[in-house]
Amino acid sequence: MVTIEERLRVEEFLFKEARLADESRYSEWEALAEDDMHYWVPAEAGQDPDDGRISILNDNRTRLATRIRQLNTGVRHAQVPPSRMCRIISNVEIETIADGEYFVRSNVVLYEYRIQADKEMEVWPARVEHKLRMRDGEMKMFSKHIHLLNSEGPVRGLSFII
Amino acid sequence: MLDNSRPSEGIRFEELILDDRVHSTLYTDSEVFEAEMDSIFRNGWVFICHDSEIPKAGDFVRRNVGRDPVFAVRGRDGEISVIVNRCAHRGNIICQEERGNAKAFVCQYHGWAYDTKGGLVDVPYPAGFKGDFSCHGLERLAKVDSYQGFVFASFNPTVPSLGDHLGRATELIDRAVEMSPVGRINLSGGWVRHQLNCNWKMLPENDTDGYHVNFVHPSFAQAIRSNYDEAVLQDEESLKSEAKDWGNGHTELNFSPSYSRPLEWFGCAEDRYPSYSKALREAYGQEKGDKILLDGPPHAVIFPNLFLGEMNIVRFEPVAPGVCLHIHTPMYLEGVDDDVNQRILRQSEGALGPTAFLLADDSVIAERTQLALAGKGGWLDLSRGAEREVTDDNGVVVGHLTDETSNRGFWRHYKQVMQGPDQSSPTAAAAAA
Ligand code: FES
Ligand SMILES: [Fe+2]
Repeated sequence: MVTIEERLRVEEFLFKEARLADESRYSEWEALAEDDMHYWVPAEAGQDPDDGRISILNDNRTRLATRIRQLNTGVRHAQVPPSRMCRIISNVEIETIADGEYFVRSNVVLYEYRIQADKEMEVWPARVEHKLRMRDGEMKMFSKHIHLLNSEGPVRGLSFII
Repeated sequence: MLDNSRPSEGIRFEELILDDRVHSTLYTDSEVFEAEMDSIFRNGWVFICHDSEIPKAGDFVRRNVGRDPVFAVRGRDGEISVIVNRCAHRGNIICQEERGNAKAFVCQYHGWAYDTKGGLVDVPYPAGFKGDFSCHGLERLAKVDSYQGFVFASFNPTVPSLGDHLGRATELIDRAVEMSPVGRINLSGGWVRHQLNCNWKMLPENDTDGYHVNFVHPSFAQAIRSNYDEAVLQDEESLKSEAKDWGNGHTELNFSPSYSRPLEWFGCAEDRYPSYSKALREAYGQEKGDKILLDGPPHAVIFPNLFLGEMNIVRFEPVAPGVCLHIHTPMYLEGVDDDVNQRILRQSEGALGPTAFLLADDSVIAERTQLALAGKGGWLDLSRGAEREVTDDNGVVVGHLTDETSNRGFWRHYKQVMQGPDQSSPTAAAAAA
């Protein structure tokens, strides 16, 4: 059981993280990630990250940094101009993993207006799992797993921060 | 029997495909698309799966051949059948799971049961069934054959042999499997299904287009600075890689000439995986082992739907004139340490699929191209480098990396297939009449 105070801090983090991603503020979003970050979009329901099956995205901190560098070049065509996005977060459940560390489940619906080729609205519903850590008075994430409902495909281009 | 009234009869492919250009309606027209489903995907050979995906008796995977749903299943005799996924009774899907193992396939509508060859073995309430079991099996693709474990099939009982279709391109497949010291690859890593809103032909075209790399992938080069820039991001003179037309629509970008040290194609130094290098040299001898380590895997399209994408295997799947799927899996190697396959997996996730450093950008360019071809359309140029390409001793046409040699090869074969035997060979038409 977490306190009301803890719940507020966790939810504040989720909203901020979502806003930075929605607005494609890549470096500010990246600053929320710890050195042991695991950013993962499995390709199959029930997938284990270590079972040798391919993922849609499977970034450790180094690869995530490369991803952000690529987006920041300004010539990542798939996000020029950036998608316009809006995510709705709900059903937030919080467990304490250790002192100051939380495992957070949420349901997210991301609306993406794709404006790089044809103008289209894409909807990305997902079950999301964060692992958060309070460090030096600030909430950070060290894991974000995004279980897309349609991970088994077909999946459209997904070059923004999910 | 195949229907003789070809849907392509009304389409004048000879006017839409010239040596130096193709017309955009080939990417947008629904009659062209229907004709392709018939002439290419039903009458010709199509890549289905790799035998490592279904190693045991009863193992199956679902696939599409063009738009026709099928499943490939290994029988008790070890042979692989490719079976249309449609109940012979009232047409329900027979094989519902994407992959798995089954002793029999029982239809969930009225319970007809089939064996792993598609033969009907049981009908509930048999007194009312007056048919003949042997006439009510599932439809099987007439031809199934494989090369180095790559399983191909065709609906056409009179299709020329798989060997005829692959021709010289067997060498490309050999090169892929010889990345393994035991000559075997393993496609057990699962597939990611990436949808692009463009015509399916843009996939084989773009995957062997060496001209776009500087322009579509500068963000990759800037963010990563890998061996990729040495292979492709240089001025025209110093680019040593080649675009190749292997015949029968099989095409390649050969990056090997640009590599100067072993495992450069793998983005690492040779001493990173010493037991891998050692195993290759022991298996193939010093000279050939050195060559494999230096040259790396092929980057080649096997017409119409298989891409040997270096350490990835890709299937192309047409959905509609303006929609297709690019479906990839890591090309795992047998007989190597796990860390080599781990690297292959991570590179596969990085290069291909919806979030990839490379393909996400290719896909948006393809979707913009599809938009530009809407309406009446116009001509797309294919002439680059036609004067400077040469034919080597094996009959393979070799061009500069940035030349359209590969895409001309794709379209030359496409035109021949789409025109059919009645146009390309008058004697065959006369014999048929
Ligand atoms: S449709 Fe399959 S048993 Fe009737
Ligand atoms: Fe590309």
